[in-house]
Amino acid sequence: MVKRRAAFYWMTVPALLLFFVFHTFPALQGVFYSFTNWNGFAESYDFVGFKNYYYLFQDDNVGNAYWFTFKFAVVVTIVINVLSLLIAMGLNANIKARNFFRGVYFLPNILSVLIVGYIFNYLFSNVFTVWGQNLGLEALSTNLLGSQGLAWLGVVFVAVWQGIALNTILYLSGLQTIPTQLYEASGLDGANKWQEFWKITFPLIAPFFTINMVLAMKNALMVFDLIVALTNGGPGRATQSISHLIYTGGFEGGEFAYQSANSVIYFIVIAVISIVQIRYLQRRETDM
Amino acid sequence: MAKWSRLLGTACLLGVLLMLTACGGGQSADGKVHIEFFQNKPEAKDSFDRLIAKFNEENPDIAVTQTNPPDAETVLMTRVVKEDVPDVIGMGATDTYSVLGQSGIFADLTGEPALDRINPRYVQMLTDLTGSKEITGIPYAANADGIMYNRKIFEQQNLEVPKTWSELMETAQKLKDAGITPFYLTYKDDWTSNLLFNALAPNIAGIDFFLERRDDKVTFEDPVMREVAEKALAVLPFGTNDNFGRTYADGNRAFANGEAAMYIQGSWAIPEIRKANANIDLGFFATPTVDDAEANKLVSGVDTLLAVSESTEHRAESLRFIEFLLQDENIAQYIKEQTAFAAVEGVDQNDPAVAELQPYFESGRLVDFADHYIPAAVQLNSMVQGFLQDGDVDAFLKRLDSEWTKVANRRS
Repeated sequence: MVKRRAAFYWMTVPALLLFFVFHTFPALQGVFYSFTNWNGFAESYDFVGFKNYYYLFQDDNVGNAYWFTFKFAVVVTIVINVLSLLIAMGLNANIKARNFFRGVYFLPNILSVLIVGYIFNYLFSNVFTVWGQNLGLEALSTNLLGSQGLAWLGVVFVAVWQGIALNTILYLSGLQTIPTQLYEASGLDGANKWQEFWKITFPLIAPFFTINMVLAMKNALMVFDLIVALTNGGPGRATQSISHLIYTGGFEGGEFAYQSANSVIYFIVIAVISIVQIRYLQRRETDM
Repeated sequence: MAKWSRLLGTACLLGVLLMLTACGGGQSADGKVHIEFFQNKPEAKDSFDRLIAKFNEENPDIAVTQTNPPDAETVLMTRVVKEDVPDVIGMGATDTYSVLGQSGIFADLTGEPALDRINPRYVQMLTDLTGSKEITGIPYAANADGIMYNRKIFEQQNLEVPKTWSELMETAQKLKDAGITPFYLTYKDDWTSNLLFNALAPNIAGIDFFLERRDDKVTFEDPVMREVAEKALAVLPFGTNDNFGRTYADGNRAFANGEAAMYIQGSWAIPEIRKANANIDLGFFATPTVDDAEANKLVSGVDTLLAVSESTEHRAESLRFIEFLLQDENIAQYIKEQTAFAAVEGVDQNDPAVAELQPYFESGRLVDFADHYIPAAVQLNSMVQGFLQDGDVDAFLKRLDSEWTKVANRRS
C-alpha cells in the first residue's frame, strides 16, 4: 500500500514542483512587480502602490488592444467551431480516401505558428494582390494586412486556417463516440438529416463542443506570435493584441512594471471568462 | 513513508538546482575564454562573422561567438531582465541604449585607449544622448538616413539631384508624369514609415525641440511640427498603389530591379539592395527638407557602438576584441561591406554610391535621428504609421503630446 502510494507521489510531485518553480512563482513575481516602478533592469525600484493600475485604466492603447483582442477572439471562436464541425462531419462520413483527407486537414496544426504567419505574410503581399488585380477586385489588389480597417480580417483568416485543424480532430473523435444504432433508429422513425443533427449528433458531442469553445477562445485571447509574424500590431495599432502590447510596451518600451500590471488584469479577465464559459457550457451539457 | 517523501523532496530540489546551474554557464572545457558578441544588424551578420573568424585565429586563447536575433533590441532587453547580459554588445545609439546605460548595464569605458582614435563628434553624440559624462559605448560605425536614387533613371529623364524640398516635389511630379514610380514606399514595416519623419524633424524643428519637450517648454502642436507632419504626408501620392502593403524586403528587391526612381532609406540598406542586383548604379542624397539648400543637414547617427557588459567576467578579453575591430584594416573592411561610415578618424568611405554625402561628413553638417530623443515607450514608429494612413495631422500632433505625457507620468 505504502509502496503504491509512493509511486503516485513520484508521478505527481515532480511535475507540481516544476510547475510551481517555472510558472507559479514567476507569475507571483509579476504581481509583485506590478506594484513597483521597476523598468526590468535597473538596480533599484520603489513601491508605487496602485499607480500603475491607475494609469492603466486611463491608457487608450490598452482599451484599443482589448477591443481588438475580443473582437478577434469572438469571431475566430465562432468561425473555427462552425467550420471544424462541418469538416469533421465530412471526414466522419463514408468518403473515399478518408484517412488521406484527415491527414491533410490535420497538417496546419503541426506547422509552427510563426512559419505559417510568415508564409501568409508573403502570400498576402505578393500572391493575393496579383489575384486581386487579375480579377479586378479593388479590395484584394492591395495588401489586406496594410489596411488599418481590414488588417484584422487577414489575421482572423490565418488564425482560422490554422486553428481549424485541432478542433476538427477533437470533433472527429467526438463523432466517433456516437453509436450508429441511434442513426439507424432515427432513420426508421423518418427523421431527416437536419433533425438528426440537432437531436442526435449535436447533443451527443456536447462535451467536445465545450472543450473546443474553451480552447479556441483561450488560444485566440492569447494571440501573440501570429500578430508578430503578420502585422507586428500594425498598421498603427490596428491589430495590436493585449499580449503583444504587454511584450512591446514592457520590453521595447522599458515599462516592465506597468505592463506587469496590465498582465495581472488580463490574467483575471481570462480566468473569469474561462470559468464562466465552462460553467455555462457544462450546465448545458447535462440539460441535453 | 516519511523517509520516502524526504527523499523525494531532495531529489526534486536537486533536479531543479541542476537545471538552474546549467543555465548559468561555467568555465569552458577547452580552456578558452568564451566571449558572446551580441549585435542588432541582420545586414552585418556575415561581415562580423568574417571579422570574428579572423580574431579567433589570431587569438587562440579567446573564442568569440556572434548572436544576431531578429528584433534584437527587444531580445537584448529580455536578456537584461534575465540578468544574462552578453559580454560585448553592438547596437545603435538609440533610446534603448540610453535607458540601459543609465541603468548601469554597460561598463564605464572612459579613458580606455580604444577611445583615442575615435572622432570626438561621435563620442559627443553618445554623451548628449545619455546625458551623462561617463562613456559607456565606443562609436564604431555611423549611418545616413536619406533618399536613394537610381542614376540610370535620373539620366534617362534628364533629372538633377534635388537640393531643396520644392525641387524634390518637382522631381517626383516629373517622374510620375513620365509614368515612373517616384518613391517605393514600404510602410507595412512601421520603422520605415518613420525614416522620413526622422529626416524632417531634426532639420525643420531641430533636436533642441525634443530636449525642450522633455522640460515641457514646447508642445508638438507647434507650427514647426505641423510642417514636419504635412511634408511626411506629401510623398504618399508619389508612392506605389500599395504604400502600406509593402515591406522593407519588398522595397529592397523592387528598387534594386529599377521599379522606382527613389527610395527613402538608410545607408544600411545598400548592401541588401546590391544582393538583389549587383549592377545597380545607385546614388544617395541627403533628404532636402527645407528650401534653403545651405541650411539642410544630413541625418546621421551612430549605427553601431560597441559596449561591454558591466557584469562580464572577461572585461580585458572583451576590450581586446573591440580594439581588434577598431584596427584600420578591419574597420575599413566592415564599412566597405556595409556602406557605413567609420567612427575611427582617417578611415574613409570610398563607395561611389555615397560619394555625394562626403561633403556633409567633412564639414560636419550632420544632425542625429529625431527618435533617438523620443522615449521608446511612446512607440513613435507605430504612431507615424497610423498617422500616414489616416492622414489626420491635428490628431497626430495631439497624440504625440498625450502619449509623451503619459509616458513621462508613468516614468516619474
